[in-house]
Amino acid sequence: MASVLGQLILNGVLLGGIYSLISIGLTLIFGVTRIVNFAHGEFLMLAMYITFWLNSLQGIDPYLSFVVVVPLLFVAGLVAHRLVIHPILGAPSYMQIFITVGLSVMLQNLALFLWKADFRSVDSFCSSSTVKIVALLCGAPKLIAFAASALTTAALHLFLKKTYLGKAIRAVVQDREAAQLMGIDIHRIYLLTFGLGCACVGVAGTLMAPIYTVFPTVGVYFVLTAFVVVVLGGLGSLPGAFLGGLVIGVVESLAGFFVSPQLKEAIYFLIFLAVLLVRPSGLFGQIGAEELG
Amino acid sequence: MRKYVLVIPLMLACGLWLAAGSPYAAEPIRIGALFPYTGNLAKLGNETFHGADIAREWINRHGGVLGRQVEWVKGDAVDAKAAVGEAERLITVEKVSVLFGTYSSSLSLAASEVAERHKVIYWEQGAIADKITARGFQYLFRTCPRASSFGAIAVEFTAQDLAPKLGMKAKEMKIAIVHEDTLYGTSVGTAAQEEAKEMGLNVVATEPYSAKAVDLSSLIMKLQAKSPDVVIATSYMTDAVLFWRQAKELNLQIKALVGTGAGHGMMDFYETFGKYSDGVFNVDFPVIKDPRVLDPKLRPSLSEFREAFRRKHGRDAAVHATAGFVGAMVLFQQVIPKAGSLNPEELRKAALSLNIPAGGTWQGWGVKFAPPGHAAAGQNLQCFPMVMQWQGGQLYIVSPPKFKEKEMIMVPLPSWDKR
Repeated sequence: MASVLGQLILNGVLLGGIYSLISIGLTLIFGVTRIVNFAHGEFLMLAMYITFWLNSLQGIDPYLSFVVVVPLLFVAGLVAHRLVIHPILGAPSYMQIFITVGLSVMLQNLALFLWKADFRSVDSFCSSSTVKIVALLCGAPKLIAFAASALTTAALHLFLKKTYLGKAIRAVVQDREAAQLMGIDIHRIYLLTFGLGCACVGVAGTLMAPIYTVFPTVGVYFVLTAFVVVVLGGLGSLPGAFLGGLVIGVVESLAGFFVSPQLKEAIYFLIFLAVLLVRPSGLFGQIGAEELG
Repeated sequence: MRKYVLVIPLMLACGLWLAAGSPYAAEPIRIGALFPYTGNLAKLGNETFHGADIAREWINRHGGVLGRQVEWVKGDAVDAKAAVGEAERLITVEKVSVLFGTYSSSLSLAASEVAERHKVIYWEQGAIADKITARGFQYLFRTCPRASSFGAIAVEFTAQDLAPKLGMKAKEMKIAIVHEDTLYGTSVGTAAQEEAKEMGLNVVATEPYSAKAVDLSSLIMKLQAKSPDVVIATSYMTDAVLFWRQAKELNLQIKALVGTGAGHGMMDFYETFGKYSDGVFNVDFPVIKDPRVLDPKLRPSLSEFREAFRRKHGRDAAVHATAGFVGAMVLFQQVIPKAGSLNPEELRKAALSLNIPAGGTWQGWGVKFAPPGHAAAGQNLQCFPMVMQWQGGQLYIVSPPKFKEKEMIMVPLPSWDKR
């Protein structure tokens, strides 16, 4: 039993690593610009497709395509922000939701049109190898994804804490108006954060391509969970997104085994509701952050 | 541009002359082709239509139907609402007397209501939900098998073919049934459960899961705890891949995996797993590659179909295209000529009078529709899914014996590191 429990928790942690990977980009965007970006999953899909094409046309291993995909996604984020998000920053939030949903549907259909509805898979040097830790098994690509997720979180966390730009971003999260009064160009911050958030999802895309099949609507499978993770961890909090991801992953794994694979989502949403009732700002969120405009 | 100035009026004039009833060309027969050509279901919707379209080209090359050429009037059934709207349009505006479709069960259920109301023939060749032919409709005919027969055949195959091969008694075997939890997975899974119960088999686990799951490790751990010999799985594509990948990761040792259509039958499954797809069984509409198992007079048209499809689409016709082709051929070659007109009443009588024995169509099936009053009125009772196995990137029929293309291999499945 102990080994089963250990394996379940390991499975959960590894799955959580993937959730975290997607959520850190989202928490940046959501926390800073307060835009509910429903197209986040489609940026993930784009990153996975770029990884796939680099692999199938150029034979580049997904773990190397990283150096191409991440900058590309950063630029894609800047462009999307400039064309779509920037004009609606002052608009009511339901308008913003419609816009990002629209962007999401457009990207899905563009992908369907360009690349067909085929299910593609990406091969990497380690995609079918399994690592044994004591008596516990885990797929190598997931282990790599988990490590990358922890590293990305740590690096971004340092960036936010130590650099001037990072501090400016945090200032905007805490109080938009005060930040503006202090001479921070909030539109530039928004632009950069959106790009940065998309670059993070670029990291996620390259690491997930060897694990999941790539198809036009793959983002839909992850985006809802990512929102849950972000709100659970606290808006704009990177450690929150990381730990939030792990919590959801472990709950899902345990609930799937002890209750039913069908009910695991219901159970993590229950826990999610309970946490929000006690701490509306999420596990690591700044108190009152949920009420900031 | 200037060059064309003269050509266009000329063409128009010719067109008008033809449309005005030229004595040389009989008016074409127009059939409504209702499929999801765009949207989520587009991939297999188009695939089915492509197969049917080759049937149309074939019949037009061979003199047409009732001496007239056949043409499609397309209706794009993106979702159930669009399916209803397009069916309505095809019937009332385009005045077609046969609707041909639809591949997806939810679309078919919705659109066939419209056809029934207007007393227009609904010719279904791809949707498998049992409910479609359980409504006592008069104008609905389905050439392909029902979902429940997929589950039943998977269980029968496990008990009658796998058990002896494994040197076990059927009742000693431990069987697990896993299925995704939408209408498709649930109906196949439930049928498998019922069949197993009837045969007195030992089902150690029945696990529904969501096809949108991004992790199935806990499901695999649950199976590991029950250590089944055979797993019968009903999955779409992403979950079929996820299940098998995580089964490998977590070293789930089973003696056989029997899929029941969808995910386990798609080329993408092989492309993802390569050698690890070898040995996996799939219960599905058959794609016959070896024409020797068929009625000799069908053999040339089968190879023509396969060649034409390869020429046009650059790959082999798979399950859905074949189903589309067969459905259309039965309609064009048998039903309409027999009816002698496009009157729905005549077509209905002609369809009900068909009696083609097994082996008489390109999918190995026969055709005999259940008459009105039967619990499955309009269902082709002479069709059945077959069991195929992945061997070196191809699915070969391994059962029933009459249609067997290859002997089954890798029973029991070797451990993961020895594949």
